[in-house]
Amino acid sequence: MIMLDPIELEILQNALTAAAAEMDVTMWRTSRSTIVREMLDYSTAIFDAEGFNVAQSARIPQHLNSMGFCLRTVVERFIPLEQWEDGDIIITNDPYCGGQHLPDIAAFRPVFHEGRRVAIVGTLCHHLDVGGMSPGSYSANATEVYQEGLRIPPLKLFKRGVRVEEVWALIGQNVRQPATVLGDLQSQIASLEVGAASIAKLAAKYGADVLTTACRQLLDSSEASMRDVIARMPDGTYEFEDFLDDDGINADRPVRIHAVVTIKGDELTVDLSGSSPEVPGPINATLGSSSSAIHFAVIACADRPIMPNAGCYRPVKIIAPEGLIVNARHPAPVAHRIAPCHVLLNVLFGALAQAVPDRIPAAYYGVSYVCSFQTVAADNSRRVLVEIEVGGCGGHPAGDGASAYSFGMHNNASIPMEMIESEMPLSFTRYGLLPDTGGPGKHRGGLGLVREWRVDAERATFTAQMDRFRYRPYGLQGGKPGAAGRLTLIRDGKEIPLHSKVGNMPLQKGDIIRLETSGGGGYGDPKQRSREAVHRDVEQGYVSLESARSEYAFGNG
Amino acid sequence: MNRERAPIRVGIDIGGTFTDLQIHDPRQRIIRSYKVATTPEDPSIGLIRGLTEASQRYQFALQDIGYILHGTTIATNAVLERKFPRGALVTTAGFEDVLEIGRHSRREIYSVWPQPASPLIERKLRFGVVERMTARGEPEIPLTEAELSDLVEKLRSADVATVAVCLLNAYLNPDHENRVAERLARDLPSIAVSLSSEVSPEIREYERSNTTVLNALLIPVVRRYLERLEGRLREAGIGGRLLIVQSNGGVCSPETAAREPVRLLLSGPSGGALGALALSREFGAASLVGVDMGGTSFDVSVVHNDRIEVITQGEIDRLPVRVPMIEIRTIGAGGGSIARVDAAKRVTVGPESAGANPGPVCYGRGGVEPTVTDANLVLGRLDAEYFLGGAMLLDLAGAQRAIREKFAQPLDLPLEPAANGIIAITNTSLAAAIRLSLFEKGLDPRDFTILSFGGAGSIHACAVADELGIKRIIFPANASTFSAWGILHSDIAHDFARSRVMPFDEMAQSPLQEIVTSLREQGESQLTEDAIPENDREYRLAVDLRYKGQAFELTIPWSGDRVDAAAIKATRDAFHATHKQRFSYSNPHDIVELVTVRLTAVGRLARESTDEEDVPVSETALRHRRVWLGDAWHELPVWKRDALRPGTRIDGPAIVEEDYTTVLIGPGWEATCGPHRHLIAVKNGGAR
Repeated sequence: MIMLDPIELEILQNALTAAAAEMDVTMWRTSRSTIVREMLDYSTAIFDAEGFNVAQSARIPQHLNSMGFCLRTVVERFIPLEQWEDGDIIITNDPYCGGQHLPDIAAFRPVFHEGRRVAIVGTLCHHLDVGGMSPGSYSANATEVYQEGLRIPPLKLFKRGVRVEEVWALIGQNVRQPATVLGDLQSQIASLEVGAASIAKLAAKYGADVLTTACRQLLDSSEASMRDVIARMPDGTYEFEDFLDDDGINADRPVRIHAVVTIKGDELTVDLSGSSPEVPGPINATLGSSSSAIHFAVIACADRPIMPNAGCYRPVKIIAPEGLIVNARHPAPVAHRIAPCHVLLNVLFGALAQAVPDRIPAAYYGVSYVCSFQTVAADNSRRVLVEIEVGGCGGHPAGDGASAYSFGMHNNASIPMEMIESEMPLSFTRYGLLPDTGGPGKHRGGLGLVREWRVDAERATFTAQMDRFRYRPYGLQGGKPGAAGRLTLIRDGKEIPLHSKVGNMPLQKGDIIRLETSGGGGYGDPKQRSREAVHRDVEQGYVSLESARSEYAFGNG
Repeated sequence: MNRERAPIRVGIDIGGTFTDLQIHDPRQRIIRSYKVATTPEDPSIGLIRGLTEASQRYQFALQDIGYILHGTTIATNAVLERKFPRGALVTTAGFEDVLEIGRHSRREIYSVWPQPASPLIERKLRFGVVERMTARGEPEIPLTEAELSDLVEKLRSADVATVAVCLLNAYLNPDHENRVAERLARDLPSIAVSLSSEVSPEIREYERSNTTVLNALLIPVVRRYLERLEGRLREAGIGGRLLIVQSNGGVCSPETAAREPVRLLLSGPSGGALGALALSREFGAASLVGVDMGGTSFDVSVVHNDRIEVITQGEIDRLPVRVPMIEIRTIGAGGGSIARVDAAKRVTVGPESAGANPGPVCYGRGGVEPTVTDANLVLGRLDAEYFLGGAMLLDLAGAQRAIREKFAQPLDLPLEPAANGIIAITNTSLAAAIRLSLFEKGLDPRDFTILSFGGAGSIHACAVADELGIKRIIFPANASTFSAWGILHSDIAHDFARSRVMPFDEMAQSPLQEIVTSLREQGESQLTEDAIPENDREYRLAVDLRYKGQAFELTIPWSGDRVDAAAIKATRDAFHATHKQRFSYSNPHDIVELVTVRLTAVGRLARESTDEEDVPVSETALRHRRVWLGDAWHELPVWKRDALRPGTRIDGPAIVEEDYTTVLIGPGWEATCGPHRHLIAVKNGGAR
């Protein structure tokens, strides 16, 4: 067997990463939807000949480490690799065939060199709509995956380079904006072509043996790094749990996420058996989703940089019995699978903080604040706005948490208020940081924010999918939790509290919706916070004088 | 004022290490270059020294200088070091934190302690005033006198030197911002005021706020520098007109620079890009990819279809700056990039850099980590005794030791293959950056010529071109002062913009006409202030367009000279075509929306052609030295760049040495000294 020296290996690593980046640029350049262009909700990856990922490009953590799970499920349970031919493209969006939720369509293409499969290239894209009961395939009250849209089992979209027209037609017939959806699917194909061409060029330049050897060594090397990182964590069993407020169907029933993390030598086991059973509402996660959160957590808390690839997964074992919220069974609805994944990440960090307290922050806000408005003007014209807001990050061993900043499983940019006001009859009455929301601590949690939308249209409807209005982001090492989130309707001067999940609520002209997001948890005993830091917080208005006195004993001599 | 033109024009580019001068003397029809050390404590000292020394060396009188075109990093450095005077921000009440929240997405997705860029003005110095403009530019909540009086008191006790004002929707109606400015001028006349409706009258509140704040904080910094510089020029008896390089690639008067210093912020790469454009024209509008490799970074710019892309927003230290700037892709790969082996024997080169201080091990300034420059030295690609023209003796033994101990031994490799590995990894990174720069525009590297300049890049250029399938490379004369040469080619350019979101159809004609007229008036008055004669003026109109519902825009040059229905249609068609070229599709039946109107007012500066310079000629290489190529040592001919004259031919592999850079002509390449002493290398079988 040939062995590459570390220099050749780094050159091939760079080449594979560059190929994933070129696929990424192609996807961005040729796609049509704002989801891809602005929210960057897509990713690209290169896999070895067996379907283990060796290089990837993604901007959203929920996507990282997810495509490999999907591909392996497809080849193990649906289309064995012997049936993958040159020029085939295989797609699926089915959460119960390795996917996460229906809007994400994964597409894979094998790359052959001199008759031999040397690699597989893949893309994953969140599509604008895949049918189902609500626009965007994002219903807050679906109770079965059937209501959430079209399910595409693993199948061939191209056979030996020829389009399978029937499949394209079937998809086009079942989605709300076929031109955009098929257009984005087409850019996934273009991206696969670019990736396949890059890999073929590498195979031609270095030979198939060198390429496959490089993939094997890269996986082994990341596995070695990962084992090295785990081995340096103290052995032991670390347990933690946290809750989602509810699933939107049963408003008074919290949903438990529980993890036991066992570190033994250079291996790490995550046991999620103590989590709640799956729920009727659309906040279930398939194993594909939960394992993405787990791998993100483990790679993120490594104490030195690791090249993320499938080798990193080898020392990590996941125990998650079927039928739980973290490994839902068909036909549980999964559209908002990001909600349990946020809390799962909070839980894993809570457990790992017991093992490596020097690097884990207190809890971040732990939820995607999804709110959407549909305005109806006097002439009956309609406009839709979907926004995702964020809260505060947790205080950490080296300092305060960041205020109002994307963290964890998602990564969102805000939409400029002036842009929204110029496009639809909504205006803003406030957007700012919320004092006293950061969990008190030696290192304070970051602040949450407040955003207020006013309806200037004749009528509007409002939908929200949020959480952590009851269960606050925890503090660590004596730090206190961040503030809970809140949603309020202000009508005729009266404030009416709303639930965290709101489905199609009618609004009238002059109504104001106020969102207040959670701050991060505090880290360390607040009494130990330096007096200068407390003074600065009060001076800058991050903490009120009253709360500085009560939480930090400020000014008590 | 006496505007009579004295003949000599000087381009000056002040970098971190050197102050580069290019002097065009039309009486001798020749361009000369000169270099002095930069004086970081006050860069104007080095500038004066450079001019004085150059005038003695090249025998011209300082009072004969007509133009001093000056590129400066004074504003950039102030931002990077956060060395600002105390400033305040005035916002619409309820929106004081927009500056701090920003767009709230993060870059480092695996980081467990992500840290956003800290806001430039702290929370207690951000003051809200009760007022509100609607998205139609109508005052919904009027700004009262009582509110203004309150503000004046707050600013007085805050004791600030400068104030930025950014009110919501002020890009549509500047009335409230103007009233704040008038009131401050009356009651607090010593405070400098920057209005968002003047600095960046475009939609998107965070970007506008941050740009306005940067402007406000830089006013005192840039004003002080320019006053000092003008004083020193006067004292030294240096005549001529001082013009400052902006990030859009044009120059402006010191008065404009002091009023809108944010426009200087990203001007660093302007010179190189201007040079690339000028050179592309010399070579018949060749498609060029300009690569500038220095100590810490590698900048890629693209000249295609006789133009260089200007983007409408850039970034400094993770903060958005919304001023037009030349588009550049930068990666952290330079001569100082550090090579490492980690515990798992994984090898990396960069992006961490030893910078200029301590710099590579061979600089002998205390650097201990092996770098790309050290690897080049160990392989004989650089000459220890001829670095910076022999001005700096390199420590070969030190470089060998560092690479052996920190890189070769952990990998169980002999010294030379290890050093060669560092070079090979670097070359693939450089090639990947170039490929991606072209790829994202839908362009193919094989249609391009590399233009290699800057101190560190020309030693890598042939290998990088091989990697990309590129068959031609231009090594310009005076590669190390190429930016200054580019600056020599600049014109006066002022940018004006106004946002107005509306459908881009015939109905847009009259509002557009109104905006264009007002932008043009602004442009005319600026060029009049600059004393540019009528027939040297040019106005370039462009519009930012998008399909309705899209969240980003494309800047499309206006079709034709008039604002009428036909021109709107032609411009809309151009948008569809550009959209298709860049993004692979267009939707000709969708509604096209106007977002921003842009006008660039250009004042052309007179320019004369140059002649060939006679140089002493030697038709053969002066000496030979041992260079490691591939897997063995080879004796390579070493040519002196100064001694080449048009027509000289060099077969690779060979070394060409210049005072501040070294060119490696790779195996299979053939270089010819062309007109103006540019060196043109062609791969076997490539077109000349």
